[in-house]
Amino acid sequence: MIYLDHAAATPVSKKVLEAMTPYFTDDFFNPSAAYLPAKKVAHDYGEAKGIIAHAIGAKASDLIITAGATEANNLAFTAIKQGGHVLYLETEHDSVRRVAENCSGEAVKVLDNGLIDLANLKAKISDETQLISISLANNELGTIQPLAEVAQIIREIKIDRMKRGVKTQLLLHSDASQALNLLDINVARLGIDLLTLNAAKVYGPKGVGALYVSHDVRLKPLTVGGGQENGLRSGTENVPGVIGFAKAIEIAKEHLNGNRKKYANWRRILLSELQGYELINKKHTLDNFIVLCYNGIDAERLVFLLEEKDICVATGAACAASKGVRSHVLKAIGLSDEQIAGSLRITLGETNTEEQIHEAARIINQVVHDEKERIGGYE
Amino acid sequence: MSRSSSNTLKAVRPSLQSSKNLLTSKPTVFVGMSGGVDSSVSALLLVQQGYGVTGVYMKNWSKDLPGMKCPWAEDLADAKRVAVKLGINFEVWDFEEEYRKRVVDYMIEEFKKGNTPNPDIMCNQEIKFKLFYEKAMERGADFIATGHYARVGKNNETGALSKEQLPGRSSQVPMSGRIHQAQFSPTLLRAVDENKDQTYFLYRISDEALEHTIFPIGEMTKPEVKKLAEKHGLHNAYKKESMGVCFVGEVGMKDFLKEYIDIKPGEIREVESGHVLGYHEGAVFYTIGQRHGLYLDGEKGVINDGMPYYVVKKDIKNNIVYVSKNLNDDSLWVDELKLKDVIIRGMGLKHPLDNILVRLRHRAPLVPADFDGKTIHFNNKVKRPASGQSAVIYDGETCLGGGIIA
Repeated sequence: MIYLDHAAATPVSKKVLEAMTPYFTDDFFNPSAAYLPAKKVAHDYGEAKGIIAHAIGAKASDLIITAGATEANNLAFTAIKQGGHVLYLETEHDSVRRVAENCSGEAVKVLDNGLIDLANLKAKISDETQLISISLANNELGTIQPLAEVAQIIREIKIDRMKRGVKTQLLLHSDASQALNLLDINVARLGIDLLTLNAAKVYGPKGVGALYVSHDVRLKPLTVGGGQENGLRSGTENVPGVIGFAKAIEIAKEHLNGNRKKYANWRRILLSELQGYELINKKHTLDNFIVLCYNGIDAERLVFLLEEKDICVATGAACAASKGVRSHVLKAIGLSDEQIAGSLRITLGETNTEEQIHEAARIINQVVHDEKERIGGYE
Repeated sequence: MSRSSSNTLKAVRPSLQSSKNLLTSKPTVFVGMSGGVDSSVSALLLVQQGYGVTGVYMKNWSKDLPGMKCPWAEDLADAKRVAVKLGINFEVWDFEEEYRKRVVDYMIEEFKKGNTPNPDIMCNQEIKFKLFYEKAMERGADFIATGHYARVGKNNETGALSKEQLPGRSSQVPMSGRIHQAQFSPTLLRAVDENKDQTYFLYRISDEALEHTIFPIGEMTKPEVKKLAEKHGLHNAYKKESMGVCFVGEVGMKDFLKEYIDIKPGEIREVESGHVLGYHEGAVFYTIGQRHGLYLDGEKGVINDGMPYYVVKKDIKNNIVYVSKNLNDDSLWVDELKLKDVIIRGMGLKHPLDNILVRLRHRAPLVPADFDGKTIHFNNKVKRPASGQSAVIYDGETCLGGGIIA
């Protein structure tokens, strides 16, 4: 199989699985228990959190471990105080969009290249605005947002608010799920107050995520109970999951530059060998993201045809994976319905080889050619 | 043939040149594809038989219910995957609004009256063999097809198509004597697979639609259908079969109805003694013959002797459900049933119809009876079906029609 959907899921790497295994069977103790073997587990858990935090320039105590990125995004929005105004980028993932909509959030526009429209952002920030949520890299296009610029705008507004005696908080939240293994992230440098992380996208286990919370941000727990994770996320710690997450991040950081070069090279190969497409994500994108459009072709048919040839890809077209709704992201960057219907998302990753990339290009070309012939036959 | 193929093509794509028509001058069929194995194999057979096939997913319902995600998008994907595999065009036709009006609203209204309607029968009459049929014809179809287990009988003299004109059309099925003389319309025949026969759900569809309908798997048994699906790698050969009312799915009718009908607690009484044995959430949620979901907690010893209670009577006005353990209770058995909204298939058939066979539930055995046009007189007593259900009448393997139990 040639798997080209690494933005959807990644396999748990062997080293990660090896690191996790003992914590399922031997070191299974509840970290809160009093005896020494449990203390050791608690210690290892803390160390693992430290490794994850270190990868984004933070401390273990800044991290709240969650059951994935969706929960982390939901938790981030608890920072909003009564009546606060919320802004979010219109191309955000549903786990941000839905919760933002529940808070009567307002969407900030993107430009046709997928980047945030900074003028639109500035125009929409009011004195009531408390939280702005902008993903680091988009999950459908790979577009990397200029967060440092956004943070600079926020800083200026904060200074202005202070001058005028306006006490309302103004926080920047970013969902970095897609970017953790491909971008060098430093929360302090980026000027981020809340950052969502996800193990499942970086060859770690599913159902494990984290929210970085700057020390001056106050959240409200979504789950109460034993008071784990600074009282913000009760429930016995997912020790193997966090151990695996830490290992995955360690590996990702180690190979970050090599992987970026490798994916950028494969991206070039694909784009030169594929035929008859229109490239959608031309610039400012993660190196492993390729979003194409085959005009006049139903990309969901391509997904099924490629599946027959053992190739897995995604589409932004209205399909089962999206409950029959076409991609709001592709719509936001101004694509026509026909372009969206013909859109394919290819995301490269560690399961791929250069040989596979050549093979995939050949098969995709063939399948597109056959489908065009079939349509012609009907006409 | 009522329309020529070239007309058909013009209707679909008006701009096409005649040279193209030669390529595709084969009968056009729109086949309803649900994602299940039966309609998938139906599409496969039509392709093999040389029809110009377009697969259509009818989007009738997509609303999630509390605790139950409507699987329409997955079903659609399954259907489309098969269509892509077969190399045929595929479309989604949205009938949600009409389905809501003509099937769901009707069903809810009937339940409110204390009846137990059959929405599948209504769906076939109003959606699949009316709206779907009409739209397909508008689009230039020669036929529609579905994955029902049923057959269509045709006479060559009636102007229907001969075998030569119709690739793979099922062989002519001999008519029963009763109908033969008066036959100007197609006949609805029971499927070869007696276990799967679905004519019970089809007895109300129009002659016009039936005349333009192909049931590709009507001559096959379910195991044969599954085998064929596997042979052709239609992945959903192993998919779980959808049962009963499609959109209610696993939620169950009662939970579905509770979304639309307010709960109204009332008593459950034993029919013989009048004793209150328990309480229910509304008599309209219960069906005659039902034995599950009765939360009885009345006098101890009366209840816990291991014998189940059945619903034998509903007093909708006073919101009382009557139950009994006595399977011989008079209210459970009848020797005649009054019908309303009677449909008699095939022109020229006259009442009374003697020595007919009646089916009171899908897959229930056929029982001998006479029908005077309004009332069915059974040779032997039958267990009383719920009002609102259908009684379907057969002569041999021919479905003569039926009506709704009053």
